[in-house]
Amino acid sequence: MIRRDMLKWGALASALAGAPAAALARAGAGLDVLLLDTRFGEGAAVDMGAARVLTFAGDVTRIWYDHLDRAWRQPGFVVGGITGADALFVLETLAQQQGRKVVARNVLAAVDGIAPVSWVIAPVHPSVLA
Amino acid sequence: MSVLPPDLDAAGFAAFLDDLRAVVGPDWVWSGDEDMHAYRDSFSPVWNTEQERHASAAVAPADVEQVSAIVRVARRHRVPLFPISTGKNFGYGGPSPNVNGSVVIDLKRMNRVLEVNEARAFALVEPGVSYFDLYREIEERGLKLMVDCPDPGWGSPVGNSLDRGVGYTMPHYRDHFGAHCGMEVVLPDGEVMRTGMGAMPGAQTWQEYPYGFGPDPSGLFAQGNFGIVTKMGFRLLPLPEYYRTCLITVPKRRDFVKLVEHVNYLNDSGLISEVEYGSPLRAKMADPQFMALITKVGGVSDAELDAAAEAAGLPCWQVELQFLGPERATWENWLHAKERILADISGAQAIEGEHFALPASQQQLDHPQQPWTSAIKRKRSLGVPSLGEWKIVRDDGHIGFFPVLPRTGEAVFEMQRVLGDAMKEFPTLPPFFNALTTPLMWHTHTFQMVFAPSIRHDDPAHNAISHAAMKKCVEVAAEHGWGDYRAAPIYQDAVADTYSFNNHALRRFHEQLKDAIDPDGIIAPGRGGIWPRRFRA
Repeated sequence: MIRRDMLKWGALASALAGAPAAALARAGAGLDVLLLDTRFGEGAAVDMGAARVLTFAGDVTRIWYDHLDRAWRQPGFVVGGITGADALFVLETLAQQQGRKVVARNVLAAVDGIAPVSWVIAPVHPSVLA
Repeated sequence: MSVLPPDLDAAGFAAFLDDLRAVVGPDWVWSGDEDMHAYRDSFSPVWNTEQERHASAAVAPADVEQVSAIVRVARRHRVPLFPISTGKNFGYGGPSPNVNGSVVIDLKRMNRVLEVNEARAFALVEPGVSYFDLYREIEERGLKLMVDCPDPGWGSPVGNSLDRGVGYTMPHYRDHFGAHCGMEVVLPDGEVMRTGMGAMPGAQTWQEYPYGFGPDPSGLFAQGNFGIVTKMGFRLLPLPEYYRTCLITVPKRRDFVKLVEHVNYLNDSGLISEVEYGSPLRAKMADPQFMALITKVGGVSDAELDAAAEAAGLPCWQVELQFLGPERATWENWLHAKERILADISGAQAIEGEHFALPASQQQLDHPQQPWTSAIKRKRSLGVPSLGEWKIVRDDGHIGFFPVLPRTGEAVFEMQRVLGDAMKEFPTLPPFFNALTTPLMWHTHTFQMVFAPSIRHDDPAHNAISHAAMKKCVEVAAEHGWGDYRAAPIYQDAVADTYSFNNHALRRFHEQLKDAIDPDGIIAPGRGGIWPRRFRA
């Protein structure tokens, strides 16, 4: 991972770090997909620019199986998200297995005992760098 | 926290890593805190304490030849290796080793589904294949086969089976090690061995006849440290045509004894899939008076629980039955179960639930519509891997003690009482063992109960309580003949200690074997409570 990418993703995570609704409008550029955990509010109506928005409610199974697992088998593909810490734990663990890491994260205020986190997962291993 | 392998200095470690890089290439060897974070046990009760076990490095081979070469390098440098398949059995140690400074041999790159044979109902896979991978292979090829998967399903069939993991479909497929057939193993000297029919060059039944000829050593590689499994075969369930669910309730506490006997008969006759026992009285657990009753020292009496049930207008127990097979067979099996149980238990009631043809639709998988509050997790019951289990994980994870007990109602009552009383010493933990705790029927012929206190990365005092309670549970259970079936590295010695017949004859036998083939402890020293001479000293 080069420093320029690190700075870019760091800035992106900062953009995602505020209240979800306000953050979404600034988050699209630089991501291949943005994941929104609807336990923390609906974001489907927000214009995300180039990034595709995928929503789920805590259980990442379908999104990971249908989209991320396939995409992470190829080089590149940067994913951002505002999700529960539980969902991020699952995605981070799966990402690590495919040469990716959480390169930026910000913990937001807890909702119903679950802390939403804004984050970016990007390829870091030479085998999956674009 | 950087650590070194046992008996190795920094220069020796650097030389060892250079030798590993020569085998797998520089991109597939990791060391240092940042890279090794992924190999910590995220559910460790001793997280960030001196007791936490850390690996010093990790290496990811691409094929069995590289595994063999890594073992030879490790043998030369006397460095312990800790093999993982996907390393996701959190609650049982995840990817972290028994011995500080071990080098994780991460088999994630060996992720080929080598064969799925529909007509003969088997699969042959490498260790890095996950249940999702195997499911995807079957789904995309449209094969009429069902995978019995654990929950969550992100682990590997090889790793889960070798840890004697369990599933949720028909009895003989739920025992994942029992459903394996044939393995390829790299031994501690780097030799490659195949078990069963695989030992015969050109054999055509490696995944169908497990024994071959002579002694079958495959059991040594489950929860053991005698080799690194690089291929493994599994029996698969032909995709059933139909799925049917039903509920039986029984009114009185003592009715549980007969209910269990009937369900055992149905299970052992191959008429039902996994079942979910429960108690409708759990709806009363918000009532402090009721909680005091079901957690009272010495246990609850039949009369006391029956009176509480009558006052609540609820039956004491229920069992959710699941049927797999041809539609007519599931219907007839259900009729048989209902008639058998209702004829024998006064006041028993039966309710028919959802039923549909397989494979299930996404709607049927995601949104069960049962006429009762169901504990069945639909996906895992139908062999569909899921990650949804993580929604129920609170705090930062949990540890787990799963004592094995006889499949009888009396044994369930006794465990409720004995372990319930023992855990009074830890009042801040939830009352896992109480008068409504029902058994799990994950194993084919035994029950388990569950004790799974949480851990928190920022609360070492809480973790210390969970840790102490775990050790107490292991000890008290063993005094009553109930053994743990599976444990994280940090508990493996304590659990192995309880299997002590004839002055630990089993452990001494394992140690003799270990000393004979791996005296320096190259393969996972300490795993399963088996230590080679080098580490015993």
